[in-house]
Amino acid sequence: MMIPVRCFTCGKVIGEHWEEYQARLDDGEDPAEVLDDLGVTRHCCRRMFVSHKDLVDVVSPYQ
Amino acid sequence: MELRVIEKTDAELRMEIAGEDHTFMNVLKGALLETPGVTAATYDMNPEQSGGQTEPILSIKTEEGTDPLDAVGDASRRVQDLADDFVTAFDAAA
Amino acid sequence: MVADFEVEFIERDDRNARFLVRGASPAFANGIRRAMIADVPTFSIDTVRFVENSSVMFDEMIGLRLGLVPLTTPLDDFEVGETVTLALDVEGPGTAYSGDIETSDDLVEPADDNIPIIELKEQQRIELEADAVLDTGREHAKHQGGVAVGYRHLQRVEVVGDAGEFDEGEPNILRGVIETEDGELVATDEFDHDLAERYPGKELAVHDVPGAFVFHVETDGSFSVEELVTRAAESIGARAAELETKVAV
Repeated sequence: MMIPVRCFTCGKVIGEHWEEYQARLDDGEDPAEVLDDLGVTRHCCRRMFVSHKDLVDVVSPYQ
Repeated sequence: MELRVIEKTDAELRMEIAGEDHTFMNVLKGALLETPGVTAATYDMNPEQSGGQTEPILSIKTEEGTDPLDAVGDASRRVQDLADDFVTAFDAAA
Repeated sequence: MVADFEVEFIERDDRNARFLVRGASPAFANGIRRAMIADVPTFSIDTVRFVENSSVMFDEMIGLRLGLVPLTTPLDDFEVGETVTLALDVEGPGTAYSGDIETSDDLVEPADDNIPIIELKEQQRIELEADAVLDTGREHAKHQGGVAVGYRHLQRVEVVGDAGEFDEGEPNILRGVIETEDGELVATDEFDHDLAERYPGKELAVHDVPGAFVFHVETDGSFSVEELVTRAAESIGARAAELETKVAV
């Protein structure tokens, strides 16, 4: 639905980077480089981004 | 922290320290083993499966002439000194 | 002085640090680590009263997300169990961010402003009042001030000779911090965690240095790394003081 606030495994706050991550991916940047740049270095935190899908747009018509 | 003495002789002590866990008990045990007059020290955090006891139990044996309760006092003094020294060293570096 | 602690920083900024502690016993190092995770309290939203929630998420889901938002925690000014009231009022279209949370006490406010709480569409609205409570990580993981706190042994790397002329140039991966023969501390990411890169064509011996622990401490923004480490050590000292007085009776 929305990007989780924290990494499930280590508890690092990752939600704040989601919008920048999305924007930079849309500009054609490499996800690995964007994550390095954002300071998301552990693979537990990185999977939070790589595996996330925003669903608010999908769900909202059915309210 | 609630203390309950289970068994106490001149050279042995078994005592429940309710409300603590490995964080403090292991540091305390480490300090006890470095305290003069203590021959053996351990603690046991029984899991619930082994009969409902969940609070840690500290067991100590001491040499003649050392009261086990005094040894616990000495060890907790030592832990405080360790913590103070650590904070001092850390602040100095920070 | 009962122990000669020596502390040296290897990496350091406000929320993230790596430092070496010499002269610590494994028991003491682990006590500090555990205290950092479970015994240093932070503020976190605990109770939420919804006035309106017409977003796509249930109240409980929003409540969970609010609880995970780190709040700045001035530990000198509050006791465990004290609460601070916060409020959020955002109307769609737009996203409600952690920065939109209003606080009744400027000392306690969201540590990060850009965490999305909920995306709101046209005519959706969220209005709520929340109580943040000061508690420890033992009570709930959302109160943990330290994130991924851990330590490794310092490793001493010695060159014992030259590698055989026809040896395969295999990588020799090591993570953490090494101490070279000159006593220099080098984080392994400086040479891509590969000793073969730093000492090409050498045969090496790697040993743990006894009593030397390299801590890696990261906080969620509630307070600085220094605050977290000193509070953790003090909490151990405070418990020992309590035991000493109780035993003396």
